[in-house]
Amino acid sequence: MTTEQIFADATQAKGEALIQLTDVDKFFGDFQALKDINMNVGKQEVVVVIGPSGSGKSTLIRCINRLEKHDRGTIVVDGIVLSDDIRHIQEVRRETGMVFQSFNLFPHLTVLDNVTLAPREVRRMPKKEAENLAMQMLERVKIPEQARKYPGQLSGGQQQRVAIARSLAMQPKVMLFDEVTSALDPEMIKEVLDVMVELAEGGMTMIVVTHEMGFARAVADRVVFMSDGQIVEVGTPEHFFTNPQEERTKLFLSQIL
Amino acid sequence: MTAAAERAPAVPKGSALAWIKERLFRNFWSGVLSVVLIAILAYAGYRVVLFVFVNGRWEAVSRNLTNFMVGRFPRGEIWRLVAQMTLLGLALGVAAGTASGSARDRAAEAGLQYDPPSLAGTLRRFWSLIAFVLVLLAMTTTVGPWLVAAAVVILGYAGWQSWRLPRSLRMVSWVTTALLLLASFQVVSGTDGRAWVPVALVVAAASWLGVPVERLQARLRRVVSLAAVTVAAAVVFGVYSVIGAPGVGWDNWSGMNLTLWWSAIVIVLAFPIGVLLALARRSTLPTLRYLATTYIELIRGVPLITLLFMGQFILGFMLPAGTNLSSISRSIAAGTLFTAAYVAEIVRGGLQSLPPGQAEAGQALGMGTPAITRKIVLPQALRAVIPAMVGQFISLFKDSSLLFIIGVTEFLAVRGIAHAQPDFRVIAHAETLVFVAVGYWAIAFAMSRESQRLERKLGVGER
Repeated sequence: MTTEQIFADATQAKGEALIQLTDVDKFFGDFQALKDINMNVGKQEVVVVIGPSGSGKSTLIRCINRLEKHDRGTIVVDGIVLSDDIRHIQEVRRETGMVFQSFNLFPHLTVLDNVTLAPREVRRMPKKEAENLAMQMLERVKIPEQARKYPGQLSGGQQQRVAIARSLAMQPKVMLFDEVTSALDPEMIKEVLDVMVELAEGGMTMIVVTHEMGFARAVADRVVFMSDGQIVEVGTPEHFFTNPQEERTKLFLSQIL
Repeated sequence: MTAAAERAPAVPKGSALAWIKERLFRNFWSGVLSVVLIAILAYAGYRVVLFVFVNGRWEAVSRNLTNFMVGRFPRGEIWRLVAQMTLLGLALGVAAGTASGSARDRAAEAGLQYDPPSLAGTLRRFWSLIAFVLVLLAMTTTVGPWLVAAAVVILGYAGWQSWRLPRSLRMVSWVTTALLLLASFQVVSGTDGRAWVPVALVVAAASWLGVPVERLQARLRRVVSLAAVTVAAAVVFGVYSVIGAPGVGWDNWSGMNLTLWWSAIVIVLAFPIGVLLALARRSTLPTLRYLATTYIELIRGVPLITLLFMGQFILGFMLPAGTNLSSISRSIAAGTLFTAAYVAEIVRGGLQSLPPGQAEAGQALGMGTPAITRKIVLPQALRAVIPAMVGQFISLFKDSSLLFIIGVTEFLAVRGIAHAQPDFRVIAHAETLVFVAVGYWAIAFAMSRESQRLERKLGVGER
């Protein structure tokens, strides 16, 4: 089997594709952040994206919910083609949860209000119903007792778990994680990763940009390695970590492992 | 123990002499400095006491108290102002009580202890205002003002009891406050002209908030709330066209009464316009952005006095023929246009201080721009700019004294009335000036203190 064949196989999702990226290019001015990205993500699949900083990992997942606008190619999320049409964009965003490196919780709202805000504003859910849902989600990330506190009163790990609960409250079909443990103190990383592992086991479709190789090994269905805005190599964790094909992948892995 | 107390050097307790030695005469030069400064302060204090209690011709103020408060207001209609003050007392009481009530509910929800505001705390909060009112009362020769003050305090206290009301009545209390405020305005101005407009707005807003649409289907909700608003406004219009009770229009208001109402109205009008301008200036629509930027930069480049003059002499040409705006209305328009531009720039500063991640988090949740603005961006931006905003409002309040140049007798201009009297033509100019200055200061200082309080309160739980 040649590298090309492995590559071609790996870009295709097992089963039905929920997200399809075809020939996606993205420019920031003259700088090309994404080059010719082709990738599919299937239902209930966990795809981990790794690569050196500046390689376009974050840009890639930010294009999927249109926080960044891609310049060429097509992105299809759950059958909806991303275009300039704001209704399509919002439809996609409702189906797509995103968790950020810097949490981005709303500091002026309590934890509970952070979680209920979007269901109430977007789904027009009555207050009581939204609060019940929010408490369920907070229990899922194991901090229901913090519901009445403000984000500023919580630790980094707790804040990130609230951010996950906030996204889950919209009952998304896909979750995007953008280096969610990078801003955390080491002892708090595990509590966040544990929540993510449970999510993956519960069958959530996830795209995870991370530097946590242990997480990638344990949870990923496929690992995507990016460098200079391109997808260099795709493979299962076993293949990827034990038998990488590309020189750049080998170099990267030798530097971090 | 506070940080300040920890930092202070340990002083032997109960030893005044030791304190003086430690703080004032630590070494030779600090001793010299202390002696010189104490001497200067003592002399200044002596001159102030002499001026206030011995030499000052305060009868120029005390005989003109009514003029300073209400100026040229028709004396036969003073009862309207009395009614206004009592209604205002009640309205402010209900507002404070309702705010306390919801603070109590929020605390209970979060499982925290809630301390209702104490009498001592309230006195400390508004001490400058209270002191000014006491000075005014001390100078009166009749019991009337004392009775009015007592009535205002009693009604305010009665209104404050609304904090005991259950949560379900909260919205009713707020609407009551708004209606009382309007009533306090209209008991003076009467129901002439467009008086029905503000009432209709409040009643419509109340019905929009009050009609229980949560259980209805999405499409029906809009129809029902629109219908409620329209019906409410129509009813108010109908009532107002029937009752017709003329009062004293604001062209005849003057003195402190006018200064306060003018400032309050301009602030209430300028704030939302300013916020909208700030949002427009950051809009992605170029037309909106350029319009807002042009407006803001034009207005900010022109002195307020110029705008006030333009309001008097140019506004008339720009309005459709037949509109006959009074001086006060024109000056309110000019003040609003002016303040809105400044508010817009202050709010824009607040908007820019927000990290972009806040709006992105909202977008990622599928929220639209209006919801993100309302629920995420504006609350945080406005909170961040409270000090600058209140500073602008204090400055506007003092700038109301410029109204005298367009022939409006506001608080400062009342001095003209006082010094036109034969007794005070040449004397007591300093006394009236000091009195007016203290009046402005008492109110401006209270505004500043309230803004600091608001900052502290809203800062709870912030990162």
